[in-house]
Amino acid sequence: MTHHEFKVKWGMVIDLDKCTGCGACMVACQVENNVAPMNDASNKLRTLTWMLVYELSNHKDFPEHETAFLPRPCMQCGAPSCVPVCPVVATDKNEEGGIVSQIYPRCIGCRYCMAACPYHARYFNWLDPVFPKGMDKTLTPEVSPRPRGVVEKCSFCHTRLNNARQRARAEDVDPLDFPVEWYQPACAEACPTGAITFGDLNNPKHEVNRLIKSPYAFRLLERLGTDPQVYYMSRRDWVRYQGDNHLAHEKH
Amino acid sequence: MKEMQIVRQSGGALAFLAGVLAALVIGWWIFPQVLFSKQEQPIRFSHQVHVVGQDMACDDCHFYREDGSFAGLPTNEKCGECHEDVMGEDPAEEKYVTEYYQEGKEVPWLIYQYQPDNVYFSHNAHQQYDCTECHPNLADNDSPPPYYRNRISGYSKDTMKMWRCERCHAQNHVSNACYVCHK
Amino acid sequence: MGLDRRGFIHLIVGGAVGTLFTPIPWKFADDLSIWTQNWPWIPRLKHGEEARTATISKMCAAGCAVNIRTVGGRPVAAEGNPNNVLSQGGLCPLCAAGVQMMYSPSRLPGPMKRENDSFKQITWDEAAALLADKLNATVGKDGKLAMISGDESGTINEVLSGFAAALGATDYYLMPGDGQTSSRVWTGLMGGEGQIGFDLENADLTLFIGADALESWGPTVRNQKAFSASRPGGEKPKASYIYAGPVQTRTAAVSDAWVPVLPEGLASFTLGLCYFLVKNGASVDTRDFDSFKNLVMSHYTPDKVEKLVGLKPDTLQDLSRKLAQAKRPLVVVGSEFGQGGGQALQAAGAALNLLMGRLNQPGGMIAMPEAPKVVDAALDRKDLLAKDLVSYLMNMEKGRAATPDVLMVYEANPVYALPQSEAMAKALAKIPFKVSFSTYMDETAALCDLLLPTPHSLERFDDVYTPHGLGFSAWALAKPVSKPACDNLNSADFTLKLAKAMNIDLGFEDFESVLQAKAEQLGAMGGFFADEAAPWDVRSGAASAEAASDVWDGAQEGKAWCSVATVDQRALRLGAEVLAKAAQPSPDVSYPLSVSPTLQLNVGSQKVATPPQNLTTIRNTELRGKASFVQVCGQTAGKYGLSEGAMVKLTGPRGECAAKVHITERVMPGVVEAPLGFGHSAWDAYTRGKGDNTYKILSVTTEPGTGETVWTGSKVKIAKI
Repeated sequence: MTHHEFKVKWGMVIDLDKCTGCGACMVACQVENNVAPMNDASNKLRTLTWMLVYELSNHKDFPEHETAFLPRPCMQCGAPSCVPVCPVVATDKNEEGGIVSQIYPRCIGCRYCMAACPYHARYFNWLDPVFPKGMDKTLTPEVSPRPRGVVEKCSFCHTRLNNARQRARAEDVDPLDFPVEWYQPACAEACPTGAITFGDLNNPKHEVNRLIKSPYAFRLLERLGTDPQVYYMSRRDWVRYQGDNHLAHEKH
Repeated sequence: MKEMQIVRQSGGALAFLAGVLAALVIGWWIFPQVLFSKQEQPIRFSHQVHVVGQDMACDDCHFYREDGSFAGLPTNEKCGECHEDVMGEDPAEEKYVTEYYQEGKEVPWLIYQYQPDNVYFSHNAHQQYDCTECHPNLADNDSPPPYYRNRISGYSKDTMKMWRCERCHAQNHVSNACYVCHK
Repeated sequence: MGLDRRGFIHLIVGGAVGTLFTPIPWKFADDLSIWTQNWPWIPRLKHGEEARTATISKMCAAGCAVNIRTVGGRPVAAEGNPNNVLSQGGLCPLCAAGVQMMYSPSRLPGPMKRENDSFKQITWDEAAALLADKLNATVGKDGKLAMISGDESGTINEVLSGFAAALGATDYYLMPGDGQTSSRVWTGLMGGEGQIGFDLENADLTLFIGADALESWGPTVRNQKAFSASRPGGEKPKASYIYAGPVQTRTAAVSDAWVPVLPEGLASFTLGLCYFLVKNGASVDTRDFDSFKNLVMSHYTPDKVEKLVGLKPDTLQDLSRKLAQAKRPLVVVGSEFGQGGGQALQAAGAALNLLMGRLNQPGGMIAMPEAPKVVDAALDRKDLLAKDLVSYLMNMEKGRAATPDVLMVYEANPVYALPQSEAMAKALAKIPFKVSFSTYMDETAALCDLLLPTPHSLERFDDVYTPHGLGFSAWALAKPVSKPACDNLNSADFTLKLAKAMNIDLGFEDFESVLQAKAEQLGAMGGFFADEAAPWDVRSGAASAEAASDVWDGAQEGKAWCSVATVDQRALRLGAEVLAKAAQPSPDVSYPLSVSPTLQLNVGSQKVATPPQNLTTIRNTELRGKASFVQVCGQTAGKYGLSEGAMVKLTGPRGECAAKVHITERVMPGVVEAPLGFGHSAWDAYTRGKGDNTYKILSVTTEPGTGETVWTGSKVKIAKI
């Protein structure tokens, strides 16, 4: 896998000790990205959840049991597994900021990328998007609706980044270094407990730059070498331990 | 017998050439005409009347908003600043005022430079270029040119294709990354 | 020279070869591929100028302060409003889908009246005439008109209850909630004054007893923001949180500790904590402190509490030590699902805060001035909160109270969201003429005779005054972001118009002027806009704020008016005599398990069913296909022979419901966690028939001593089917 480096690396730090699993990020994400509602959303093989909140358990019996929630967007890996397997270059990591792109009209729906992604962050449109009558009036202009047969995933609300760059140009600010409030993905913006911090991982002015250096910060399946741009934080050892796979002899 | 063969052979070559010729005529002359349907704008909007007659500037209607986005074509809100009621003799103006503005309906203008939903284009990133490098110059136009719609793809004939965007970006050393232009 | 077969073939081949030198094949292939990218049934985007309008979204009970993003005037998405202290930029999962719910398939198109089994659309004038007719027949006869409101914090209650009062009716009820129980306890049982709130922001240790405050209890988003601010990322937490309750709720999941306590034992547990404080010399200056002291020292010793709630004495002592060590500890009590918790728990919680000396202290329990009122005829807030809908309906069901002739229901779904809901629905069905103001076809609307849909909360004037749980007084205004998507009329405006037509003068022509009067009244009370300084900082003295000059103007910009005024207490009691009778749970062997319902806002609220966008947030261990799940721990599952995914029937004294079983150690033994928000029979295809309604198995008991209706700790038995 090729490793991609950029001057600007947009990333998230998700504080799992703050996430209550309320689901506001998931709803805000669907609204922002024009994901059509599904009648039977309990069939998780069909749902499109660019942002998905997992429930973690420390697997201990009552009363030692503990619960944590883990929101999972696209990791925007530094060495993405999905990119090299795409036969039509519908997905790429080639832009300043390091966001892995997904171009719907180009996608042929082969789903190699879904098989390759270790985070299950990619979703296939098994159905055409159908909005209840009139609800299509609430589509945001940010993302094109996807037809049946293509793969989609979290883009860190990329159009917001483009809009922020546009604003930077209008206000004569460096499009690579504008105030972090100008570009926040819908999930980070909605999160009522402030569990999601978003910014440029390389920019010392941004909170994320400090947070990723915390001893409590970790990434998912780090040992695969995918170098995700999404970090997690937890003071709970068991939560951090579950962030990767371990062999039986490996200790906490 | 021999004569017959020669005739037949030359007839073969002739027929072949006739076929090639017919294909070329169809392909280069008829096909482009059939491929596009010619449509007129819903209102005969005259730029001349506004620009020359009323001394309006282009950016009175085609302006940048505060957030850097481009307003594109004006909506009723803008047009209604003057055309709340019919003010002239022109039947096109009357049609606009009575059938659209007063009904609260926006005019479904045909966009010559139409781009599909999956394209993100920022006008302010391209501000150093003259508008007419991409758009037809309509400033002195009295009646809008016809709009040609591709019968298969549904796009405008003037819709800029991706290779043109990419070529210009490449020549100017601007990123051609997917997400620079797609959403 | 004719064209023979061979020549024809040459012609065709020539044509084919020639075609390759024309644009036909290339252009055709290109255009075709573009055609396949733009199917006509895929919706197209509409562009336009982006703008944001600040308002209040009232999908959740407390209301979220939002900025509604519009594109070319069309609302497209809700965002939190960072300038409003009620949600400080955050958003609950219900309000996150608020804009989309403007186009819910359940939305009522306009006024309708029942004709046999279906509804026929009528005009607003016809509707008003029909209702006036029915109301005229009830004038002056108390008991013939009843109203139910599902909005605990809105000024619309003044309009509606004022109208009822003018018609001579006193039966005006709110849907049950902890705010009412708290008020009944504080201003009744304990002889206090004002409204109780909690200054979470300044507390350094918060013990939530029952109250799932970071998920659905009280002003959730504000609670979450307070929690968030005290836990700066990567730094040492500034405050700790402990959750006590039967289930490791979402609040418990992020708290520093979870103390498992049976739902019926929450009051005893709280009094058990009081024991340690009293033992260590804490006291409160009230007349009945001695009897309170006797009560806890004799009946709530650690051993007795262990017997009552199964909690080890060490745990209790450890907890009391933590409370004693904290500089600014705070105890917040409530029902796990925000209603039916009983007075004993509220009284015990208040007593605990008083014993710690936390009344009207920064980070403590705050007694705030009672809400002012602008409609003279309306019920006073205290009286409004004192009325108990559940006991009224139970009396009606049992024939102890007269059935009214007319019932009007505003923003409430009592047919679905009351305990022992089937019996409640039967009682409601007996009322001959029922009117619903609901925006949606909910279960109550489906049962009504006249539907007068009020606009969606983003399309109307409305307001929020200090939702229960807030630690300061606050008022925020909701104003219409767009025209109603359907032929709707604000219920307050409709009522004012109807009143006028019936020659009743409520003092106002329209609701906007009612709200304007409210703003004026608040302006006269002092107070400030919270964008100047955070109210908790003003309370703690860390900041000061200038009094707001024009409350109405500021409110329209989306700012919240705030006040940190407190009320001094004159004749507080601890309610010891009543507590002595009330707090003890009584075991019932025929129904061995306790139900702990969970209210999760992503699934819906008491009044709103799951928005279509929210369905993906529901786990497939909560709902799968048509079955909802109840959660039990391995020990309980083993005891009753339940396996993962088994279909079970839960039977309570007043109802039963079916569900699948999910085994999780988040639930304490002897408890069944059951989700609220499933099992709708009205609404739309996104929610109808999915899962079963937990409200059916909640059974109401009367609390000894207080007479309060209680349905936390409802008992059930479980059986495989």
